Amino acid sequence: MFKRKKPKQHAGFRKETWQLTLLAVPAAVWYCLFCYLPMFGVVFAFKNFKARPGEGLFKNLFVNSPWVGLDNFSFLIRSSDMPDIMFNTLFYNVVFLITGIVIPVFLAILLTEVHGRTFSGMVQMILLLPYFLSWVIVGYCLYGFLATDEGQINHVLKIFGAQAVQWYQSPQYWRGILIGIGIWKSMGYSMIIYMCAITAIDRSLYESAALDGAGFFDRVFNITLPQLRTTITTIFILNIGSILTSDFGLFYQVPLDSNSLQPVTQTLDVYVYKALMQQANFSYSSAASFLQSSVGCLLLIISYLIINRMNRDDA
Amino acid sequence: MDDYIRPVDSAYSVRTDRIVTLLFAFLCFVCFLPVLLVFIVSFSSQQSVTQEGYSFFPNSFSLEAYRYLVASGVYLAGALGNSVLITLSATIVGLILMCPMAYSLSRTEYRLRNALLVFIMIPMLFSGGLVSNYMVYTQIFHLQNTYIALIVPGLCSTWYILIMRNYFRESVPDSLIEAAKLDGCSHFKILTRIVLPLSKPVIMTVAVFQIFLYWNSWYPSLLYIDSNHTELYPLQYVLVNMNRSIDTITRDAQYFSGMQSYTPPAVTIRMAMVVVVILPVMLLFPFFQRFLKTGMAVGSVKG
Repeated sequence: MFKRKKPKQHAGFRKETWQLTLLAVPAAVWYCLFCYLPMFGVVFAFKNFKARPGEGLFKNLFVNSPWVGLDNFSFLIRSSDMPDIMFNTLFYNVVFLITGIVIPVFLAILLTEVHGRTFSGMVQMILLLPYFLSWVIVGYCLYGFLATDEGQINHVLKIFGAQAVQWYQSPQYWRGILIGIGIWKSMGYSMIIYMCAITAIDRSLYESAALDGAGFFDRVFNITLPQLRTTITTIFILNIGSILTSDFGLFYQVPLDSNSLQPVTQTLDVYVYKALMQQANFSYSSAASFLQSSVGCLLLIISYLIINRMNRDDA
Repeated sequence: MDDYIRPVDSAYSVRTDRIVTLLFAFLCFVCFLPVLLVFIVSFSSQQSVTQEGYSFFPNSFSLEAYRYLVASGVYLAGALGNSVLITLSATIVGLILMCPMAYSLSRTEYRLRNALLVFIMIPMLFSGGLVSNYMVYTQIFHLQNTYIALIVPGLCSTWYILIMRNYFRESVPDSLIEAAKLDGCSHFKILTRIVLPLSKPVIMTVAVFQIFLYWNSWYPSLLYIDSNHTELYPLQYVLVNMNRSIDTITRDAQYFSGMQSYTPPAVTIRMAMVVVVILPVMLLFPFFQRFLKTGMAVGSVKG
């Protein structure tokens, strides 16, 4: 009986594997065409791209363009606005990395304990709304406040007799504005993620803590935060991986692509876009984006390994 | 999911609760304020805006801006149509691609499962970057100035595939699938007849995320649609090109209905257009919200 069954099962397995593979094929084709095919493009970063009209992309890239080694990178790093760009990218990302965890966790802890349930639901919905507005919309909402002639803020300033400010020409305010807008948009979303994690915590922990006389802060620091650690570290790792990637919309569309704001709004993503679309500088643009994805990939793996190690040591 | 803490368990006294409630009410107010301003301004009169600026308390209201939008008709309706077309087709095609993939990955007996998992995880870690994406889209597939260029990027997402896979694995009883197999069902049939009908919540969640993603997308249009193809612009991109759009709209409106006697209210038209884009989001949002939360909960647990 055993002998007879085995080959049959084997044939069944084969048929199953075949069917399941067939089901996965459409998505796999998409991945091949639009994720894997563009990956050869890292070559752009090491070539001086010269396109001869009438010839295919591959021939232009691999045959017609000479290898230049790391020249693109060294030129890129030495270019005059690079220090600003790198500083901006890192500055905003570090700020968002910290505020993106501290503020939502704080709010989530506060909101879970609020008595009114309907109120809590309403708050979640309203705070989530900005996340689902595009940067274009956010840009114009902000414009309503900051427009030089009609803006609400200049209007209020006028009432108090102060000088109107040309907001879109005054870079000194924009670090604060961009950070504020960034927090405003993503706060609700992250808060709800943490709230979901908090509701997953075993309630009996809190009950026994309350019996032992633990106050609100004892509970937060000894139960909630330790229980949230996995969620927090996961989000931390994911964000570390995009340390050189910024939200293009926030830095390009929200300041309405104003030239005088460039020193504080230009991040690597904006540079990559502008080098490609406005200067048609393929080499620099691709060198910059290669830097982004390789550094991100490395950091992601490193931080994952470190945190994995730490967790194992704790256990 | 909605099992929030009852007042009995809450660590707050009644007074603390009031303070915290007040704090959150204030936060909501701040969150909503910019959107409110846009709404109010879009209904203000031109004269009010020139006198008082974009104000929360305009001294007179008018529907002038909307009259222009309606009168110009074709331009904005076309953009709205494009947005709807792109959103719907991307959502549907995306689900058709992702569901079977997620199902295959959810079957433990599938031998290539781990290989396939690695295959879809790699793009999460590393991508070719903007330049090569752009070159592949324009020079190999020749997608510039087509709808496909606006639909294809972001069609599949490893994240959503994993969310669906987890749901299929945990919420569809294995015995059901085994029974169907014994009855001679193929995997395709099991997917369409058993797994998908049982997984409506997660499918809705992914669909809602995709809908918002595509409704809000403007970056692909910035890259792939040039200014000679305004008929392909989705709404969001019409907003990006605000000043030119306002020109087109006022010109069309004046042409079609002879509103030439005074200057067009460009400042309020701007905000009225923003309202046209926000309104669908605002209207659908309350209905969609519960699906969003399911997805986010799964995302947070599985990390």
